[in-house]
Amino acid sequence: MYGWTGKMLRVDLGMRSTKVEQIDEEILSLFLGGRGLGAYLVYTEVDPDIAPLDPENILAFCAGAMTGIRVPTGGRASMSTLSPLTGTIFDGNSGSQFGVRLKWAGYDALVISGRADTPVWLEVDEEGAQIHPADDLWGLEIPEAVGQLKPPNSAVVSIGPAGENRVLFASIADESGRCYGRGGVGAVMGAKNLKAIRASGKARAAIADQEIADFVKYEAGKMVKASPRTSQGLPEFGTSVLVNLMNWYGVLPTNNFQIGEFEQSEKISGERLRDEFLTKRSACWSCPIGCKRITKTKKEKGEGPEYESIYALGSSLGIDDFEIIIEANYLCNRLGMDTISCGATIACAMELVQRGALDSELAFGRADLLLDTVKDIAYRRGMGDQLAEGSKRLSARYDMPETSMQVKGLEMPAYDPRGMQGQGLLYATSNRGACHLRGNMLGPELLGAPKMLDRHTPSGKAGILIVLQHTNAVIDSIGMCKFVNFAIGDDFFARLMTSITGREYEAQDLQLAGERIWNLERLYNLRVGFTHEDDTLPPRFLDEPLKEGGSAGHVVHLAEMLADYYRFRGWTEDGVPTPRKIAELGLAELAKEQSHA
Amino acid sequence: MLDQFQRFGSDLFYRGLTSSHGGNMSVRMGDRIIITRTGSMLAHLTENDLIEIGLHEDDSNIMLASSELVVHRAIYLNTSALAIVHVHPPFAVALSMCVEDAIIPMDSEGSYLFRKVPVLHAETTVGSKEVAKIAAQVLREYKIFMLRGHGCFSIGPVLEEAYQWCSSLEESCKIGYYTHTLRAAQAAISQRGLGGLEYRKHADDYQEW
Repeated sequence: MYGWTGKMLRVDLGMRSTKVEQIDEEILSLFLGGRGLGAYLVYTEVDPDIAPLDPENILAFCAGAMTGIRVPTGGRASMSTLSPLTGTIFDGNSGSQFGVRLKWAGYDALVISGRADTPVWLEVDEEGAQIHPADDLWGLEIPEAVGQLKPPNSAVVSIGPAGENRVLFASIADESGRCYGRGGVGAVMGAKNLKAIRASGKARAAIADQEIADFVKYEAGKMVKASPRTSQGLPEFGTSVLVNLMNWYGVLPTNNFQIGEFEQSEKISGERLRDEFLTKRSACWSCPIGCKRITKTKKEKGEGPEYESIYALGSSLGIDDFEIIIEANYLCNRLGMDTISCGATIACAMELVQRGALDSELAFGRADLLLDTVKDIAYRRGMGDQLAEGSKRLSARYDMPETSMQVKGLEMPAYDPRGMQGQGLLYATSNRGACHLRGNMLGPELLGAPKMLDRHTPSGKAGILIVLQHTNAVIDSIGMCKFVNFAIGDDFFARLMTSITGREYEAQDLQLAGERIWNLERLYNLRVGFTHEDDTLPPRFLDEPLKEGGSAGHVVHLAEMLADYYRFRGWTEDGVPTPRKIAELGLAELAKEQSHA
Repeated sequence: MLDQFQRFGSDLFYRGLTSSHGGNMSVRMGDRIIITRTGSMLAHLTENDLIEIGLHEDDSNIMLASSELVVHRAIYLNTSALAIVHVHPPFAVALSMCVEDAIIPMDSEGSYLFRKVPVLHAETTVGSKEVAKIAAQVLREYKIFMLRGHGCFSIGPVLEEAYQWCSSLEESCKIGYYTHTLRAAQAAISQRGLGGLEYRKHADDYQEW
């Protein structure tokens, strides 16, 4: 087998058993690996009736065909599970070296089930897996835990106190903050009493045609160098380059999306991050772009913050103290929490206070309370215990669901959809909830990549979004980074896949694979009980136009786009894939098996 | 400012000097540059297609600026240029691949305006630091140069002049192409007579009419 290893390592923590299985190459070919393979595993193995924190849930770390192979951005991998935050099928995607090392240990997938009686950590190498006690690691922050386990030539991911305390947006991360960040995957790991996983190995997947692969890599490298986004913007500023731009467009969420521009955006901008806090630029494994930031405040140093974290812990809270925002980001990384959901949940609490529903000191602009609030959430102390459940549950508790800026329970990323119609449709339809990484419309609606569309028109957005959703599913599944898509497209991915795996892929084959993955995720969510009524947005975006800024006067015209979206997808008016569509994607047998299960 | 970009952008496209989404233009205003957006259509520029960015330093707008910004910056920093046009004129690009290191205009106007136009070679030709370095040097002596197989960069104190050099170079290359083609035809005629090329009966006899 080329590209993939064809092997899966299974660990049952309850039974304390491990075994290596072969993966059918046809499954790898159909679902590509990574997110696609993870979706297949969750779909076939996780009973949709279980609670996500039950031992029966799985953590499926899945590498793609490109993971661990020296192609541009070939350092990524996925982690799939049933999310405790959203209740949907969920996958996190990370540039941590863990995926690379897992692949080099000889596995396309590591599937963990069961629950250990006491805290454990897991060692994975070419010989299989070993379960070790982790009583002395339990309670440690992520860098300390990883530091104790990480010899050279290995990679370790761990949960922090937030995962141990089952914070519903706890993450899994390495020592530098590269994480499987969203959806509470860290809480699933914590519920299994699994503190950390170490992977090491020297096995390299075979490459079918090295000469062609080298040529395609060379051409891809040229494209990366030619794009101002991948050769200049992201390397120089990291993702924080977007702060001022999004503010200019009037889509920088401020005060829990009550406003679309932040007057103090310069204070929290990428320019300021570069000039005053940046100490080093860095990159994930095999990445020629290098958007990773190593930064330093007066008190400490760490990685980040990303643009999304700056919004969530900054503008959305009305906070312009960049030192505090950066330190809150470090804190989330160390404690193991998704910065977006953490910040957005605090923003929800602030709005509840603003409306008089919640009695707390929290208020927009109160930077002085931020660090303690983040800690309280991770340790579930005081009000933090309520916030640890995420904004959907928090707002419901106070009978103000409209203050939670989420879809399907997942808090929104840093783009107000009132200034980007297609992004609104993306949030509403994403299988894992409000997410910008499932088919980001940032490119066509704001950056002109590949072409600039009218961001305010709903017309035509459904068709384009569907293609992007498939492309993003492909990128997540083959083990590359979405940023490379600013420079290269499906045809490059297809040529890479062909040369690496030896199987013939054309661009349309990958689009079909992306569609297959998307539909499988949808089918699983339908089994869980989600319906078309969940494909919506918080009422603020549908009814309340922004009052000022670059997107003033606009709301999201969701109903119009959604009807197109279902029709273009070949789904029913209720958003259900038709039997014909399921058959066309080669999912009929799979869907039938599960309906009988 | 927008009206100038629109006027010359439109001319560049409709005169066939570049493709629908090809080419870029900029002007320097002190320490700032106004440059066309990456992927913009020169024939249909709007306000959002003009991106302001620093001459010396990047800012957030780097995400929107033309991929050739690196070359524009190097030119501004090393020459007295205040405006730059970069397009892909087809006759000039074709000719650049048929000569060693310079295009020498044959026509009177081209010869008067340019005398010669250097042709530079580089491995990567889009948004290339290598091109930026050599472009900045060559434009200290010339007002336009060709990047082999890619396109031309021209400079001026205003956009109109930079546009003029592109337009004139392409015209010279066209004249050169037509001249060579017609000369080749003439050579064929002198070898084989008009009848060798003509479709009409008695073609050679028309000389005597």
